[in-house]
Amino acid sequence: MRQTLAALAIALLPSVTGAEAPNAVIAKAVDGHVLPAFSVLAESSEALKAAALADCIPTSGTLLDAYHESFDSWIAASHLRFGPTEVEDRAFALAFWPDTKGFTPKTLAGLIRAQDPDGLNPEAYSHVSIAARGYFALEFMLYDDAMQSLGDADYRCALIRTIAADIDANADAILDGWTNGYAQLLKQPTEGRIYRSEDEAVQELFKALLAGLQFTAETRLGRPLGTFERPRPQRAEARRSERSLRNVMISLEATRDLAVVLSGEDATLARDLESAFDEALALAESLDDPTFASVSAPQGHLKVEILQQSINLLRDKINATLGAHLGVSEGFNALDGD
Amino acid sequence: MTSRRNFIAGLLASGMSPQLTWADVGAPSYLSAARNPDGSYALFGVKASGSILFKVPLPARGHAAATHPRRPEAVAFARRPGVFAVVLDCTTGLQVAELNAAPDRHFYGHGAFSADGAVLYTTENDLETGEGIIGVWNAAEGYVRMGEFASGGVGPHDVKLMPDGASLVVANGGIETHPDSGRAKLNIPTMQPRLSYVNLSGDVLEQVALPSEMHKNSIRHLSVSADGLVAFAMQWQGSLTSAPALLGLHRRGQAPRLLQANIDEHRILMGYAGSIALSVDTSEVAITSPKGGVVQVFNTQTGQLRSMVQLKDVCGISAGQQGFHVTTGTGLWGNVSHGGLSESVTQQVQWDNHLMPVAV
Repeated sequence: MRQTLAALAIALLPSVTGAEAPNAVIAKAVDGHVLPAFSVLAESSEALKAAALADCIPTSGTLLDAYHESFDSWIAASHLRFGPTEVEDRAFALAFWPDTKGFTPKTLAGLIRAQDPDGLNPEAYSHVSIAARGYFALEFMLYDDAMQSLGDADYRCALIRTIAADIDANADAILDGWTNGYAQLLKQPTEGRIYRSEDEAVQELFKALLAGLQFTAETRLGRPLGTFERPRPQRAEARRSERSLRNVMISLEATRDLAVVLSGEDATLARDLESAFDEALALAESLDDPTFASVSAPQGHLKVEILQQSINLLRDKINATLGAHLGVSEGFNALDGD
Repeated sequence: MTSRRNFIAGLLASGMSPQLTWADVGAPSYLSAARNPDGSYALFGVKASGSILFKVPLPARGHAAATHPRRPEAVAFARRPGVFAVVLDCTTGLQVAELNAAPDRHFYGHGAFSADGAVLYTTENDLETGEGIIGVWNAAEGYVRMGEFASGGVGPHDVKLMPDGASLVVANGGIETHPDSGRAKLNIPTMQPRLSYVNLSGDVLEQVALPSEMHKNSIRHLSVSADGLVAFAMQWQGSLTSAPALLGLHRRGQAPRLLQANIDEHRILMGYAGSIALSVDTSEVAITSPKGGVVQVFNTQTGQLRSMVQLKDVCGISAGQQGFHVTTGTGLWGNVSHGGLSESVTQQVQWDNHLMPVAV
């Protein structure tokens, strides 16, 4: 009986080669990629909170290590911008960037000057301007000279602890959203819910992969690149803590992982995509320029632009190959609306 | 198409008709940008039946076009955040002028002509301040930039001339973008969309904002009736679990009315309305969602959903004699009326976001 059913199932499969049960791919992506990413984020932010409690001096080695480790884990999850990260602006509360109008330093300076009591209370802090929360706010507190000489040292210390605790609460809330509901929504699509079919669930994951790469190419690299005539190195992401290149590389590694998971049982496709990612990563590594300061000179600008182009080619490749493999048709209007 | 062009070339050569009108290009009812099968882009003139009258090549993917009220001339905008727009002569297929964004400005993709066609208004961004701008161009003489004024908000997207001919309604979507960052949205947590009415000197006449919990509902596209009813379509930038209404109606001096279907039908829109149109008699208003693959038609009086048509990658929509004409990214041209899809033809093009009526 079982054999008959299996034979029937095979006969009913669409004739597209390499197509496989989407529910297996979704389960692998959720259990093997999404949930681990947000678990690591929750753990590292807990450690960050503890490190800030133990020692809030901005030069403290343990605090800085914890900051970097936790920021790493956010970048590794930062392409997963749907569901729990979008509730209550959590993703933005973790990473308010790009900050085109300088809201982060302005808001922090306002809090410090006023010794605002909200800065002493993580609960209340979840209601202050989003620009003063998260890793980029913490970066200002830990790495910006002007911020470190502003106001009262004890208040700044307390503010660092508050921001770290707020990051932790936020990371916990995202993980909680995933484990208590959203993972199921994605794994078991049902008519009348957010994802009505497995196709829609797969499409969400596929879109996250492409959007992550788009953000890296257009924003993480595009902002410091500016134009050839007018490069903008001051706009590099997290340049104060010299994380600009590091963020690009971590995000490439994380999206590579997702691309491989979404390739499912098509090992050839997985290898092909993996090597395309590795080429981009090798270009990134060879830059040897943590803050993209080199974009100011023509030679350096060109090198970063080549990296950007390789990521754009990677996006095209993923669209053409993985998109076809998953049967996620690229709606001309749907995928890139306006 | 060739015969039309030869005919017109002949006309031009004989100097018979220096002042051509839309009738001279076969009186298209609509214009739409599309991608050709070979990957190139063009602006198409289309009859109400869906048959293509002409196509004019575009240098890159288009977005919307502003149609001149008299001359067979269209201004095609690059997609946001573009820095150029091209003025196309639909009789010759030639580019007659190019609009280059002023320093520190970029286009958002829509524009509107004054009633006499002498002035073109374009939605733009001030790159330094992030404030929305309406650019003013002399359409009577070579599209020279005449000036600009504030749009009344951030990220102006669609703009339409009001029936009084003396004011504009602007969909200030609230979203800031920058050419350096591609299509990345730079200010989602702090965005404040608005519907703004400005007179042609740039004085703000009225501002309409949504309740603060809806601040991530970007007001993007507009349809205006002859008696001044403004319909606006929105795109929700927050979590899909809480997507609010995506369609609103407004009359000057009144509070906006938000329309949405019941929760299950509403969810199909995926938080995204791509285009909007009021019917000719304004009794109905329709929105499209390419993400959800659906057209929803509402009664403007009762605010109730009247019908829903599922259509893959549907986006362009415009009022027709009966109901609405719609276009899709799969090349379909159809008519949505009486609760269903009829008269559909599929062609070897991918219709882009918007279907623009041509004034007759």
